[in-house]
Amino acid sequence: MNEAGWLHKSALLVRKDLRVEARGRDTLPPMLAFAFAVTLLLAFTLPGSTRLAAPVSVPGGTVAVVDVVSGFLWITVLFAGLIGFARTFEVEREEGAIDSLLLVPLDRSGLFAAKAVANLAYIAAVQGVLLPTFALFFALDLGASWFVLVLVTILVDLGFVAVGTLFASLAAQTRSRELILPILALPALVPVFIAAVELTSDLFVGGGLDAVATRGWFGVLIAFDVVFMTIGALAFEFAID
Amino acid sequence: MSTSPPASSPQSKAVAYLGTAAWVSVAIAVVMMFVVAREATDAMGGQLQRIFYVHVPSAWLAYLAFAIVFICSIAYLRTNARRWDLLAHSAAEIGVVFTTLVLITGPIWARPVWGTWWQWDARLTSTLVLWLTYVGYLFLRGLSSDPSRTGRLAAIVGIVGFFDVPIVHYSVNWWRTLHPLGPTIADPTRDSGLGGPELITFFISLSAFTLLFAWLLALRVRLGHLEDQAAEVEAWEDAAPAAAPAPT
Repeated sequence: MNEAGWLHKSALLVRKDLRVEARGRDTLPPMLAFAFAVTLLLAFTLPGSTRLAAPVSVPGGTVAVVDVVSGFLWITVLFAGLIGFARTFEVEREEGAIDSLLLVPLDRSGLFAAKAVANLAYIAAVQGVLLPTFALFFALDLGASWFVLVLVTILVDLGFVAVGTLFASLAAQTRSRELILPILALPALVPVFIAAVELTSDLFVGGGLDAVATRGWFGVLIAFDVVFMTIGALAFEFAID
Repeated sequence: MSTSPPASSPQSKAVAYLGTAAWVSVAIAVVMMFVVAREATDAMGGQLQRIFYVHVPSAWLAYLAFAIVFICSIAYLRTNARRWDLLAHSAAEIGVVFTTLVLITGPIWARPVWGTWWQWDARLTSTLVLWLTYVGYLFLRGLSSDPSRTGRLAAIVGIVGFFDVPIVHYSVNWWRTLHPLGPTIADPTRDSGLGGPELITFFISLSAFTLLFAWLLALRVRLGHLEDQAAEVEAWEDAAPAAAPAPT
């Protein structure tokens, strides 16, 4: 199969998924509503923005409460993402169209890429709303380092959608679809989210990036992305039948 | 056409011998642990250090089990032969048991020696993630009904899990190194200071646990075969109720 054909057909599948979503609005609005509700709850449970930056003493030194905000941000992204990814094959399943999808003369890796790109669009849209909301609610000062946050977000998303799409396709074939996805995906996603939190927690307090630490964490993210995009593309041949 | 092996088949005899060997060597290992091996220094936990003769072999066998899951998963996806799937499933179950043992014995030793039950260091965290991954694997197997589909889905998780663990290990390693919180943990195997009797005890214990592992695996695989046969008989009876009327 030639490359242009692969790209073209995958792009058609992505367009199909996004068009279905644009008309049905079954996936993105629930993700957004969930992410917003969680942010609201966090805003209520955390101390007010003036006290967020104040140092609190802990064993081994002092930290500011704002240090945990990056953790909350990524946890919210993670859970909102899993809610959406669980619906990866839901449209086809509801309409009994899985067989027609599999009849598309396209390598399974192309199907994986198409589904992953659609999921990427959803999670990026959620983050597009969530990041400004977090900055507003928690009085985050991103300053000039906002582009670092965007770069980290892109790298996190690639690995996240690779794992999420692969496991969602497995979960879709079991009896308890929504239940099994987080059980499988959360342990696998540990490295991405540790790296994301580590890379962004300093940004939120107006600090720059530590060059040495940054290189290591970007390394983790890139390694994870490459490994899981490859595994996903290869394993999809067996994941969908 | 598969026929069920009678109870006294050479296969089941071999399993029985393996079981006897496993339990005899476990008994020897227990005696060695408490009689031959000398008490460790206080820094290593004194008497409590003997738990390592259980802890370390369990950890190694857990790794072995998940390596078997990985290899058998690939073999299953390539050949679609039920025996690979059964072996992967059996190894995963036993691997989770041994990992649980590791996660229980570790903190029992760590509490008095480190002063804490748990540290988020690379080895502890990746062991916990390993445990969670394969618990998820077993959940997936439990929640899917069609056997050939279950094997296929589980095989993918078995493969992905095996690739994930090294990444978890290294990421957490960096994480801890960048943020040293609390006391630094020396690698438990590195400065164990085992003398001759302790090393012999350790290797006898490792052999005993390996035999135990092999025996459990053989038992679990045989159980799986019997389950398959029971399912076959059931399916056959369901398919031909008229041909075989129940005797009155």
